Amino acid sequence: MYSYLIRRVVMLVPVFLAVSLVIFLILHFIPGDPIDNLLKVGSSPEARAQMEARYGLDQPLPVQYGIWLSKVMQGDLGTAIVARRPVSDLILQALPHSLRLGGFALLFSSVVGVGLGVLAALNRDKWPDKAIMGGVLLGSTMPSFWLGLILMLIFSVWLGWFPVSGARSASALVLPVLTIGLGGTALVARITRIAMIEASGRDFVTLLHAKGLSPLRIQLRHVLRHALIPVVTILALRIGWILGGAVTVEVVFARPGLGTLLIKSLSQHDYPVVQACLLMLAMAVMLGTLLGDILQAAMDPRVRAALA
Amino acid sequence: MTISIRKTLLTASVSLFALFAAQAVSAQEAVFVLNTSEVGAPTYNPIKANNLNKATTLIFDRMVSQAADLSFHPWLASSWEEAPDGMSWTFHLKPGVTFHNGEPFNAATIGPWLEAFKGSENAYMTEAVASVEVVDDLTVKFVMARPEPNMLYNLSSSFMSVIEPKSYAALGDNYGVTEVYGTGPFKMESFTIGQETVLVRNDDYTWGSPLAKNTGPAHIAKITFREIAEDSTAFLELKTGGVDMLLGVPADLLSEVKKEPNLAVVTLPGQDVYYMPINVTKAPFDDIKVREAVAKAINQEEILASVFGGVGAVADTFLISALPEGHVADSAKIHFDPARSNALLDEAGWVMGADGVRAKDGVALKVSLWTQSDSIFRRLTEVVQAQLKAVGVEAEITTFDSSMIRDQYKTGTQQLAVRSYDWDNADIVDWFFGADRLGYPNISMFNDPKAEELRKAAMTGSKNMAERVANFTAYHEYVLTQFPMAPIYQPVESVAYNADRLVMPAELNAPVVGSTAVMDMEVKE
Repeated sequence: MYSYLIRRVVMLVPVFLAVSLVIFLILHFIPGDPIDNLLKVGSSPEARAQMEARYGLDQPLPVQYGIWLSKVMQGDLGTAIVARRPVSDLILQALPHSLRLGGFALLFSSVVGVGLGVLAALNRDKWPDKAIMGGVLLGSTMPSFWLGLILMLIFSVWLGWFPVSGARSASALVLPVLTIGLGGTALVARITRIAMIEASGRDFVTLLHAKGLSPLRIQLRHVLRHALIPVVTILALRIGWILGGAVTVEVVFARPGLGTLLIKSLSQHDYPVVQACLLMLAMAVMLGTLLGDILQAAMDPRVRAALA
Repeated sequence: MTISIRKTLLTASVSLFALFAAQAVSAQEAVFVLNTSEVGAPTYNPIKANNLNKATTLIFDRMVSQAADLSFHPWLASSWEEAPDGMSWTFHLKPGVTFHNGEPFNAATIGPWLEAFKGSENAYMTEAVASVEVVDDLTVKFVMARPEPNMLYNLSSSFMSVIEPKSYAALGDNYGVTEVYGTGPFKMESFTIGQETVLVRNDDYTWGSPLAKNTGPAHIAKITFREIAEDSTAFLELKTGGVDMLLGVPADLLSEVKKEPNLAVVTLPGQDVYYMPINVTKAPFDDIKVREAVAKAINQEEILASVFGGVGAVADTFLISALPEGHVADSAKIHFDPARSNALLDEAGWVMGADGVRAKDGVALKVSLWTQSDSIFRRLTEVVQAQLKAVGVEAEITTFDSSMIRDQYKTGTQQLAVRSYDWDNADIVDWFFGADRLGYPNISMFNDPKAEELRKAAMTGSKNMAERVANFTAYHEYVLTQFPMAPIYQPVESVAYNADRLVMPAELNAPVVGSTAVMDMEVKE
């Protein structure tokens, strides 16, 4: 088990390097540069050159990449060119907000998603199943920025229950969590349903029925336990995606967070900040995947046995 | 209706979220939303900032204030004299002024303040000042390295907000982020970058600009400036009473705002000009006749009415109309004149074809027309395209992402473009038409020996303000007669507020809704 863990962690290193290279290159091949945003009316070409030198933008690309990577490895994310302060400060200010939003959204989609999935599986092919799966499909196909605006219109403008935007009170968290959570709910509900139905057809379920256990007890105690293995894996994978998916939602609801920081920095071509944000999001996906694998190994006795 | 929404909001927040901070704002407290262009301004350090938001103008005072007609008036400087040769300025400072941290504002403040500009992003603001002499406790003399007719403009700019030098030196990069001390009517209580800034009233304040009626402490006790990047979100906040004022309302939301009975709009002349640069190096625009023809094919009145709903004004020079340098000879102003446009194209040998497109020597008059992806530019550019078509010029529109179009201009391959700039000083003519910046900012690739001579005189050859105005007017006028661009439109700046909550001053003698307006503003109790 431990050797498996170590192997998985070591495998992250080349993935990390590849991801960092892609992030770096994509950004530098986008036309436009941060100096344009810094130059004022009246600046001379010399001022431009000076500023490029100050931020190391006059170096060849491979050198810039090498310097950046070695600093990142030492935990130094550099200094923001436009915001002009350590990138780590900006990230640390934004990250807790994104984690809170993502965490609650994940919690919402797991609890509601598993609940709906079980309900649908228990009523397979009957109307509750069709209603839940239909509703879930609708929820997952709505773009989040649009869903956010609709929720805002209903719950803030018409009903006046929640603030329109911001992060000034805990109640302001409700609509953004719903916006992100609803999308995830669809996926979780579908996976739970399929896994439940699939597990119901196994031999051990027939045996349990033969032993005379009540069908509901079989479903909730035994089948669900089996079915949760893929669900938990999917949820772990969602960790990274939820942070990434929060980008537009944060902007719509004017919340602080990695998404708002990323969008703002992208429009200013503030490379160090954009690189750090993308790296954070990529790391979240990588760690989520790792966590999914580990959880799967821990939960599934067959995988555990195979690794031992 | 409004009251019931707020009641519901209040009841809901009390009953459901009693534990959470209440959203309702109490008396003499207000919530403003910053203009989207100011979202993410990273610091309140005026010396090192590229982008400062409106809250800056309440934390700091400036030496000189600027009225609605862009004329200059006393503020922290009660009066000043300029030497006839422009080589020195003497400023008399207002007595009894203190900074938020208790330090006095006097002649000793000025030297270290100007010194801090050296090597900073805004160094050009004070470049012309060689040294500062303290004449007495309340009098300073700027000894100039060269005349700087722009001195008063610079001193009225928010980048020359007067900082407190001791804390400025002690706090380093934290000045303007964690703490900031000015002499302004409000003190910074907290600042979260990209989110909000909370300001509280400076109760000791008695030295406001004479442009406001109230020169003592402000009526409003606490202001929260929120940063909301999404315009529709900001509008919904205003509509539901979550905020009291939006400091920038985009033109397309204006009609929505006007539908709400409790909301009111203040409009002020904007500082933007929409125009069509013409690349003078690219055929057929290397022929001045063709340039004049396309410039005079633009129907500014029609654009004002159809694209901008009649809000704003037509532009017939390169500068905003409030600037004195914009008062050029009538013959230099560029107006819609289809007859002249057609005649010029005929003269230049471009003959109208049966398909409505002109041609010369078998080549059709087809040109490229660039613009940026924002919806307002796309709409405007389509109208420009149709107007060019009316005189037989076929323009093909290419749309670039707003953040990337500058790099495209740098290639110098553009022919026509539709864009805008935002600036309130005549030196913008130098910025966009100076021969040392071909491509971008000089999108027109304009490089004319006579213009360069006039430019030099305007930029460095003026001893005082009057000379500078004359020199820039001459330079501006000459540039117009060479048609490197066609002026189109000047927007207004719109501010929307909740009239159930705020009382706006009846008259506002300032170029923008900023500190002058806030000094006279009240919250309805």
